[in-house]
Parts: sequence; structure tokens; C-alpha cells
Amino acid sequence: MASLPKRIIKETERLVSDPVPGITAIPHEENLRYFQVTVEGPEQSPYENGVFNLELFLPDDYPMEAPKVRFLTKIYHPNIDRLGRICLDVLKNNWSPALQIRTVLLSVQALLASPNPNDPLANDVAEEWLQNEDNAIAKAREWTNMYASKQ
Amino acid sequence: MGNVPGKLENENAVRFNRSLSTSSALPSSRTISGGPNGSRKTRTSSMVGNILTAGRRSESSESLSGANPYKRKSTKEKERLKERHVKDLTVKYQETVDGGFLAPYGSSSLEKVDYDASVVKSLIVERRLAPFYAPLQDFDESWSREELIKIVDGLPLHAPFNEDLEAFDGVPIGDLSQSDFEYLIDKSLSRREQRRQRSKIFNARLYQKRILWQERENEKFLETKLEAKRAVDGQRFSSLPSGDLKFDLYRTGAECPICFLYYPQPLNVSRCCLQLICSECFVQIKRAEPHFPHDQDDSSTPADDSERDPNLLTSEPTNCPYCATPDFGITYQPVVTRRVGLQGSVPLTYKHVTDSEDPEQKEATRRGSLAASDRQVVTSDSLRPDWQIKLNKERMRLARRSANATAIHVSHQLVAPSHQESSSLRSHTTSRSPPHPEPINRAEVNTGRWPSTATAAEIENEMIEQAIKLSLAESNPTK
Repeated sequence: MASLPKRIIKETERLVSDPVPGITAIPHEENLRYFQVTVEGPEQSPYENGVFNLELFLPDDYPMEAPKVRFLTKIYHPNIDRLGRICLDVLKNNWSPALQIRTVLLSVQALLASPNPNDPLANDVAEEWLQNEDNAIAKAREWTNMYASKQ
Repeated sequence: MGNVPGKLENENAVRFNRSLSTSSALPSSRTISGGPNGSRKTRTSSMVGNILTAGRRSESSESLSGANPYKRKSTKEKERLKERHVKDLTVKYQETVDGGFLAPYGSSSLEKVDYDASVVKSLIVERRLAPFYAPLQDFDESWSREELIKIVDGLPLHAPFNEDLEAFDGVPIGDLSQSDFEYLIDKSLSRREQRRQRSKIFNARLYQKRILWQERENEKFLETKLEAKRAVDGQRFSSLPSGDLKFDLYRTGAECPICFLYYPQPLNVSRCCLQLICSECFVQIKRAEPHFPHDQDDSSTPADDSERDPNLLTSEPTNCPYCATPDFGITYQPVVTRRVGLQGSVPLTYKHVTDSEDPEQKEATRRGSLAASDRQVVTSDSLRPDWQIKLNKERMRLARRSANATAIHVSHQLVAPSHQESSSLRSHTTSRSPPHPEPINRAEVNTGRWPSTATAAEIENEMIEQAIKLSLAESNPTK
């Protein structure tokens, strides 16, 4: 693999020196383009008190191409499917090379605070969300406790 | 777009480079450039003339002298064009503009820099796009003049290439000085496999050639620098930058917000929100490959592409990476007192000019946002003027596939409900009027040819024949 672009080095340094509250991203020792990420569930959301593990990968074309981000922790959310894939505009067609790992992870956290069942990825979850929101939120809480509780 | 180096030497335009052409018409480049078409001998002087006139030509490239952009190019022709492009990406120290160069510094993947090199080069020479500079990884304000100059002197023309890419692992490249590499292809393979192998070998060879070409330029640059150090008479080294130039360029640089590298100022400025962007990043921002609109194709409809209307294929203009304004474009305001290199004064004699530049620079950055159509603005699309052609080609390819699929479908069904679909699709394509791929026309003729009394078996035979023809037509390379 070619040497790491300056941009990735600097972003990594800044993530360490000036971390985002509630978010950690640590590069893998053997592959500095691969990050282990944790995101805390936002307060007053069904994911509150949860800590979610994600993986983030910077493709060769980064930053011209968006990072690849996936939830590793199971989560009950209309825009995140069973495989952990995330439906988020900035990870797809609204990606801009001026965005960063930091901004992307903040967007992911914001998605937890405001699920959007009208543009679903997990159809069953979205349906539940639209038809019986209280139930859905309760279930999201339950899953958070079950799979994402802080040890 | 094919503009062959040649005739269009512009004497005035090369006045600076003239004096250099003795030192820069390199005998060594000939061995390699005698590649597939041995007749091409590029001399620097004509190259420059070519660069300068290329902009004008490529603006009209779509209507260029009978060259139909939709015509299928032979593999050899495509290879030749690709090799030309790669050659255009070689950074040469004599081709310098305001202390920078005409080709990018750090991009090793060709996909990133698939822009029209003649357009980019002429924009740089016209000072409408910042030249490509060798960036610094970091900048420390405490560096003395001597330290900074020493660091700048150590910069290569191009970032080192990765010598053995995984992608080309184990691919034979044969003798690079020979243009023919037929003998490397395994003739026992199927034709399709052979084609695939050919393209692999070609790309691996091209990559190695690119490294070689760049190395040669690097060496020349290095040797000239060393010679210049020893020599008393600097005349021959006039395209090398003076100490003042190196210092002035790098002393007041800025970090590009996208690649985080440190470049000499002024950088390009986005037309809409006045944010900085280096040329290396700017040329990599391009339209997405032709695709179906996003709201339609979300995972819920994993539909087969061949079942969709090819005219829905789109490719949106680029957005500003900073403020998302569509039709991304930049402006560039060169430092008037630092106009050196091509169409400027001799870099080696550049002397620092005090003050005068500052008020002007401030004036320049204070401008408001400009329309994409403004004369000063260079848009992303203008660097890849063939985007429309690419889109149309992709539509045609899909139309072909779709006709193919329809034919097979019909041959299974033997009834005509799907006809309506396909004929409406065809009329769409016709109204859009890119020259039709033949298979569709043929299919059209045939649909009308079935007599109403034809037996199911007859129609079926006809359809199968049709499907075979189409699939043959399709398996011809479209890439």
C-alpha cells in the first residue's frame, strides 16, 4: 500500500488531540485506513446510555470518495439495517471531500438522535416506527440495553 | 480528444521557451515515444505551442474535423490515446508557470486525473488555474530563508510512485522499448479472455512507462540543478527558479482544506464561497459516473439495469465541496509581479518585489461570488469536456443491452406485451438523437417484419436469432 496521505495522518492526529465528545475513532495498527469507532447514543434519544461500535474504512480515493462506515453493534433504527449499513446522505451522493471523519461520525450520531422512517433502509423497523412509534422507541431502548450497554 | 502534436506552433507564445529548446529537446525521450506510432516525435517547442493552442481547439472538439466522438475506436487507437494522456501527465521542469508545473504532483492513479490534459495545461499557461506545485507536508514559520530554500530544492517534480502495485502483480510487461506486446498474450485463451489480458498487460506496461518517463524528467531536473550550482553562466538553466522565487512562493503558502498539504499562494478560490482549493484537488473533482437518479434506485429496487429507460441515466454537475452550490468552479488570481515561466519572464532572474503585490491580492480575494458562466471561472465540467459524450455512450450501451434483454424476453414469451415497452423506449432514444447503435435499428425493422400469420415457431426462431446477434454485438468491447 502506498504511503498514507498527509490528510489521513493529520485527521488521525486531530482525532486524538482534539476528540469529539461522545465519539472515539482509533486506527488499526496494521491498517491505518481502518478505524474502530465508538459512538455514544445521544441524550434524550432511545439510544441514550448506549455505546455503539462501528467500523470505518477510508478507501483509496478518500477524500474524493466517502469513507465506508458500518455499525457493528446491533441497533434498532429505521435507517440502519441488520448488517449495520447506514442510509445517510453524506455517506453517499452528498459526500464532499471537504467533510472529514469527524464530521461524518457527528452525522451518524445525529442520525441516532433523529431517525427518519420516511427514507428507510430497514423496512420492517421503519414500518413499526410509522405505525406505532411508542412501540418502536421502546424496542430501540430495549436493544440498546441488550446490545450496547456500557460495561 | 485527438489533437496530435504538430503544425500549430505558435511562435509568439513560446518566446520564453524558445531559448530553452536546445537544452530541453531531449534525445532520450525518443526511444520511448517511438511506441505504437513510431512517427511521433515530440519536441518541447512544438509541445508548448500545442499546449497554448489546445484550449481553443478542444472547445470545439466535439465538432472536430469529422471525428465522430461516438465512433468506436479500435483497441490500438484507445491505447494510443491513453499513452498520450499519460505522457501529458509527466511533470517537466522546463514547462513551468509561476514556479509551478503543468502536470499534477501526487496523483498516481489515472482515474483521478482523467481530465483533458490539453485543456488543463492551457488554463494554467493562461493563468486561469493555479499551476501544480510540489506541496510541503508541513510548514514551519521559524524556518530561515536558507532552510526553506533548501527544503524547496529537495522537492521532486512528482511524488514517488509505488513501484509494484498489487493490481499489476505478476502481469508480464515484456520489453518496454518495444511497442508490440502481442507475444505476451496467451493465444490459447478465449477471445474475450485475450482481450482482458491485453488490457491488463497494457495498463501494467503503461504504469511502468509512466514511472520511467517521470524518472527521466526527475533526473534531468536534478542534473540541471547540480550543473547550475557549479556553473557561472546561468543562461542554460533559466527555467530553474531563483532563490527569491522559491522563497517568495513558499514563504506565504496556505494549506489546501481538502488534501491538507501546504502550497504556495495564491491557490484557486471557489467561485461561490471563496474557499481555497489546490489544483491537484480541483482536477479530481468530477461528475459522478452515469447512474440512475438516487431516489429511484435505492436498495428497494435492485432492478436489472437493462430493464430501465436509458434516458433516465444522469450525471449531475459537480457541487462545491464547501457550500454544495452546483456547477463547481474556481477562479485564480496570479500574482502580477511573479509572472515567470511560460509566457512570462525567466524564472532564474526573478527578484523579489517589495509590497506592490499586497493591496492587489487583497482586492482579489474580496470579490463576491461569481456565476459559473463568468469568464474568469473555470468549472469542473470544462476540464472534462467529453462528459456529455460519455453519458450518451452509456445510454446507448444500456439501450443496446435493454434491446437485447427485450429480445430474449420476447423469445421466451412469444407474445407481445413487452413490445410496447421496448418501442416507447426506442422512440425516447431516437428523440435524443445520439447516433443509434445498429442493433436497435435492426430490432425495429424486425418487429415490423413479422407477418401476422407467422407461426409461433417462426417467431421464436427469429427472436432467438435476433438475441444471438444482439448478444454478439454487445460482447464487442464497449470500454
